[in-house]
Amino acid sequence: MARGNIGEFFLALKDEYDIYAPVRSSGNHVNFKKVSSADEMTLDYLNTTIPPKEIWFPRVETLFEYEIHGQDIKVMPPRVSNERETIIIGIRPCDAASFRLLRKFFDYGTFKDDLFKKHEEKIALIGLKCNEPKKTCFCTSVNGSPHKKEDFDVALTDIADKFVVEAITKKGENILQKLSFLKDASGADLEKAKQSAIKAEQAITAKFDVNKAANIVNDNFYNALWEEISTTCLGCGSCSFLCPTCHCFDVVDENDYANHRGRRIRTWDTCQSTLFTLHTSGHNPRPSQKERCRQRIAHKFCYYPNNYGVIGCVGCGRCIIDCPVNNDVRDIIQKINKIKTTQ
Amino acid sequence: MVTAQEHGHVLESKLRTVASELLKEKKVDLIIGYSKGTIPQRSSPYIARNPADTSNFIWNNLGYTNLAKYLLAKRKKKVDNKEVDLKIGVVAKGCVGRAINQLIVEKQVTRENVVIIGIPCNGMIDLNRIYEAVGTKEILDIALVGDDIVVKGRGFEKKLPFNENINTLCKACKIKTPPITDVLIGESNNLPIDEKFQDVIAFEKMPANEKRDHVQQLLHDCIKCGSCRQACPFCYCKLCFVDQNKPVWFNKTFDMNDILVFHLIRSIHLAGRCVSCGACYGACPIGINLNELTRKLEKLSKARFDYVPGMDLKTPPPMMAFKLDDDQGFILEE
Repeated sequence: MARGNIGEFFLALKDEYDIYAPVRSSGNHVNFKKVSSADEMTLDYLNTTIPPKEIWFPRVETLFEYEIHGQDIKVMPPRVSNERETIIIGIRPCDAASFRLLRKFFDYGTFKDDLFKKHEEKIALIGLKCNEPKKTCFCTSVNGSPHKKEDFDVALTDIADKFVVEAITKKGENILQKLSFLKDASGADLEKAKQSAIKAEQAITAKFDVNKAANIVNDNFYNALWEEISTTCLGCGSCSFLCPTCHCFDVVDENDYANHRGRRIRTWDTCQSTLFTLHTSGHNPRPSQKERCRQRIAHKFCYYPNNYGVIGCVGCGRCIIDCPVNNDVRDIIQKINKIKTTQ
Repeated sequence: MVTAQEHGHVLESKLRTVASELLKEKKVDLIIGYSKGTIPQRSSPYIARNPADTSNFIWNNLGYTNLAKYLLAKRKKKVDNKEVDLKIGVVAKGCVGRAINQLIVEKQVTRENVVIIGIPCNGMIDLNRIYEAVGTKEILDIALVGDDIVVKGRGFEKKLPFNENINTLCKACKIKTPPITDVLIGESNNLPIDEKFQDVIAFEKMPANEKRDHVQQLLHDCIKCGSCRQACPFCYCKLCFVDQNKPVWFNKTFDMNDILVFHLIRSIHLAGRCVSCGACYGACPIGINLNELTRKLEKLSKARFDYVPGMDLKTPPPMMAFKLDDDQGFILEE
């Protein structure tokens, strides 16, 4: 597909789909927004500030609504607008991988999260492979790659004047059938795509072993390291709010006392806050930042592998860029690896 | 004239020597300062516990964290089986020094437990201005060369004048060196406080509806992570009003109303206390400049009470003090 065809691409799909694409707001901030034309979006970007997880896991979602009249309590399902089929265009391989990881959590054994499933079924990912990974990227250390296409429905490879377009899933094939202007890629174009994959992979210099961490963390729950890595932590939670794989939420009731009704909602939450684990009794099992920092690292690199068999991190590096005190997860993992194992 | 680059260079080497000596002579148990970050656009708060550690200290224009925040955690050591407070050295630019003073006035920090290592600051680089100039490209290096900020990345190099590209707060700042110091690195570069509040004039001139739109626009992208609150040295409430659930004061959604309530009330809590350090701005992952709100309140506190926070160790902030002969006309209306 020629670069200039992007406009046509939108025209062909916009009646049938809601389209989310990267949009530059200010400074270096690019975020996924619902767009109606190709002019609004930019594909010349590294990665978004806020991950696209809010499309399948919104910051606030209504679980149910209720009305209370004396002893009479009526519970009603949330009023949802009919969600349309959705395309996310320009999503990066790491963020697409996070979609797969969140399915592990929201769709685990007999536990199915209806709200998540509803979003999930409607979403198709037209991903854009990374030609220019950042210095803070480390996807190759967590089983990812800048050109990984398996988590996309359709994969785009940027080869300067053109995109190589490839359907990965059945969903992706259906989308491509609607695009009459696609031409078969030439051998030279495919070769260019292959070369950029090799170049991108080499550009990622941060490489470390995260597989040892699972066992080390388990055996060193009370290690002095946790104190060390948390001394300067402010507990702000930027790392988890901007993490594509963090999925913890708070459940609260919003009462409209005057009208005897309300709704129960879930909102994004963070394990870095004091309140996250505070019990009604007043006891807090994670009383200081030490336990909270340990939780964040352990959840991703120990509990996720142990429970679901995958690493709970996709290596996007957002927590490195946005930590106000520069607590770098790459350093933390390397410090963990240096702990002498007892066995 | 010393260039911005030389200014930082000289301070850095002096700082290391002074810090190392303080630890050697056991005048402090530890020193909180900044060390080189793992990304070019940020210095990392760093704790030195022995003289050798002090070689990691740096002084540059990327230290956004207000180190006074770390004094709020009670750090103890054991002496003869008794718990004693640690004596903590703090590498303090002007606003950090003022925050320490203010925390002492508010009885959150004990004067005897702090050693203020004063640094004459020349301003922090405004990253959002840099991002605006560089666009979506990745920054691989930021350095001062003479009086310019030189930003490098793949396939570009940009030179931006230092004085124009520091935080708006830093441009207006007069108290660049802590008003009270135990050790002073270099010489104080403080200016007379003849605050003009140029940066809030445009906002003040707006009619009410424009002000509302402006504030809503400012806060539009807020994800309510709370980084601003966590980074602020004066947000030390054990339970923040937005987190209270007995009763629930405010809803937890991301509707503009809920976002507004959080930020407006938070800034009002800082009226007459905020020392304009910009730690909230530096911590915000979205780059929201909350100082647009706090500066207006700072101006009010100056105009109505002639109060500048953090200048001494005894004057309580206007909202924390009262006098029997205070004018109470506003409470009782005929």
